[in-house]
Amino acid sequence: MHAIQQQYWAVRDYLSPVLKESKFKEHGRITPEEFVAAGDFLAYKFGVWSWEKGDASKTREYLPPDKQYLLTRGVPCLRRATSLAYTDADEDAERLLNFGDSSATGDEGDEWVETHAGRNHTTDTAVNAGVIEDIPDLDGPGETEGVTSAMGGLNFGTTSAAAAEIPDMDEIPDMEEDDLEAEDDEATAAPKVPAKTPGVIDAAEIEVAKGNLLQVRTYDVMITYDKYYQTPRIWLIGYDENRTPLTPAQIFQDISADHALKTVTIEAFPHSTSLQAASVHPCKHASVMKKVIERMNAGVVEEQLAQRKSKEGKKKWPFGRKTSGAGKEDKNAAAAAAAAGQGEDEVEGLRVDMYLVVFLKFIASIVPTIEVDSTTAF
Amino acid sequence: MPIVQFAPFSSLVQPAFWHELTNLKIDVLRLSDEILPITGSYSVGRSVKDRETGQEIALGCNLTIGSESLEKRSQLPPHSVIASGAFKNFNTIEDFKAADKTALFNQASEEIWDSIITKKDTSLLNKFFLITYADLKKYKYYYWFSFPAFVSKPAWEIGGEGWKDADGELGVEVLQSIHRNLQSDSRPFFLVRPAGNSVEIGSIEDHDQFFANVPPTSQTLAFIDPSALPDNPGWPLRNLLAYFRALHSSSTQLRILCWRDAELPSSTGTWKSRFGVLSAGAAGVDPTTKPSAVGWEKNVQGKLGPRVADLAPMMDPARLANQAV
Repeated sequence: MHAIQQQYWAVRDYLSPVLKESKFKEHGRITPEEFVAAGDFLAYKFGVWSWEKGDASKTREYLPPDKQYLLTRGVPCLRRATSLAYTDADEDAERLLNFGDSSATGDEGDEWVETHAGRNHTTDTAVNAGVIEDIPDLDGPGETEGVTSAMGGLNFGTTSAAAAEIPDMDEIPDMEEDDLEAEDDEATAAPKVPAKTPGVIDAAEIEVAKGNLLQVRTYDVMITYDKYYQTPRIWLIGYDENRTPLTPAQIFQDISADHALKTVTIEAFPHSTSLQAASVHPCKHASVMKKVIERMNAGVVEEQLAQRKSKEGKKKWPFGRKTSGAGKEDKNAAAAAAAAGQGEDEVEGLRVDMYLVVFLKFIASIVPTIEVDSTTAF
Repeated sequence: MPIVQFAPFSSLVQPAFWHELTNLKIDVLRLSDEILPITGSYSVGRSVKDRETGQEIALGCNLTIGSESLEKRSQLPPHSVIASGAFKNFNTIEDFKAADKTALFNQASEEIWDSIITKKDTSLLNKFFLITYADLKKYKYYYWFSFPAFVSKPAWEIGGEGWKDADGELGVEVLQSIHRNLQSDSRPFFLVRPAGNSVEIGSIEDHDQFFANVPPTSQTLAFIDPSALPDNPGWPLRNLLAYFRALHSSSTQLRILCWRDAELPSSTGTWKSRFGVLSAGAAGVDPTTKPSAVGWEKNVQGKLGPRVADLAPMMDPARLANQAV
């Protein structure tokens, strides 16, 4: 079913015309040229982003061959989004509490609803890790293995998140060879060095509020251009703190509850022949972007009008979190605007170059704990 | 004086690499299990500020391999340097388990030592070795990295004050100048000498010429440091020190710069590079005899053992179909 759907999407993508006319302020969509311009701006200003070619057989002809999609690697993700917000599953966990305890009135007025009853902190912590069964020898009977993996599949199908979280440790070959390196090497840093200085600390030792160890995941984030929806589209590949690729269920832990399993799905990455990645479905991107851009545009226009009056104020970085030290940013933004050869005669509002910067702010609301939005770090 | 402890490399294998390996295995390698070249890359150690607690958290000391690792001419990610390696893919899990790992490891470490002694070359200092077994039906990939590093006897020690902020020791102008130089010419190891108000960088191989008229107190060795821990330089420094002990055994005190600034710090940020003066007693033996080496990567349980990447959730069509419903 999914395969057919993907085929359908591929055909639909092929048939849909390339957007030619710029209308990003009217409806939030952009043309491939604008995508490239916005991508250039992003890669220029924030060095962590770079253009990629992708697989040669998957090159989209409406984009330059060496600018097929944008990539940034190793984006840190310190906490799980599931530990920030309540999830849908909690809705079922409501419990009627009766403080009156069959009081004289007997009406419902005394009853309270306790939501999120019995809610546990996410099991995905170092202290409270999923139960890992004994690791059997590889030589074990082959038949039962098939059955267990089939059961594993079943569990997964019914989205039993807890079951899927537990890493499948069945088949790690039993071959520890501690004698491989005879002597303890005194010059090798132990994995957990006690932090003596309050400065930089090893990720493994951070304690969060509940005494759980913090697990730093990293993500590779890709931005492609979706021709059908005429918007950028974001893709995620994640690794846990041991650099093991994350399973879909684990990735969904980092996506805000409003979006996990609804707008975020695992799909074939369009610039690779076989790679699968989690992606935020772009069907609502245009309308959300339109709203965000409208709001920001008003601010920017106001800014520019004020600037023209004063004629001396530097162009301001139009995004929040302004600190006193942002002066260099401003200059860069002004330089970029000047370089593009834009006259000062007309108030132009938000430029399309900024589209992806704005887009990342929007994506950051969907994946609150993944620090995709490097643009605030300045 | 405290012994210098190095942060070991951690392997990071992008799923795309396993996809490439699958294709290679099916279309090209088939049943061959010969040793093939591979390239990996690493960049400066990164740390991230935790928004809730305000602490700086060091990310891993990663060596990354990806889809381009098997290609002859691979494109490097920005701010990264290359590490060449070799890998051997076994056909069965039994072969993988039974492989003579000591012999493979010795072969790799001898190659590195040979490049130091005969070629006086630094290009193989970061050579790594990888053994793999791909269970294509179950989408499971068993792998074990080794990053051979020579054990120095006696060990390198760091002066009483330990590792310090590089900007405090060398000055901001010097760091800015190094950053400018590296922008155009990124390399894993380099030498730094003062030139007027600024500095020049040169390659390790030109050591004698480059430092000919430079007093030892201005000679600095530098390397791209993949570690972000304040008191632990990254793994590449170990073999660089072994290189110096073997070829420049007269210098018993070395000024080391751990380069960790891929980008200039923002106006509120700080420089991350570290600086320290290392010293070691004279080796009792001939400096050109090959020291012992260590470097097998530990697995998730912290033991010496292989790791497994289970890509079934992301590759198995049946499970993907379930996910999509």
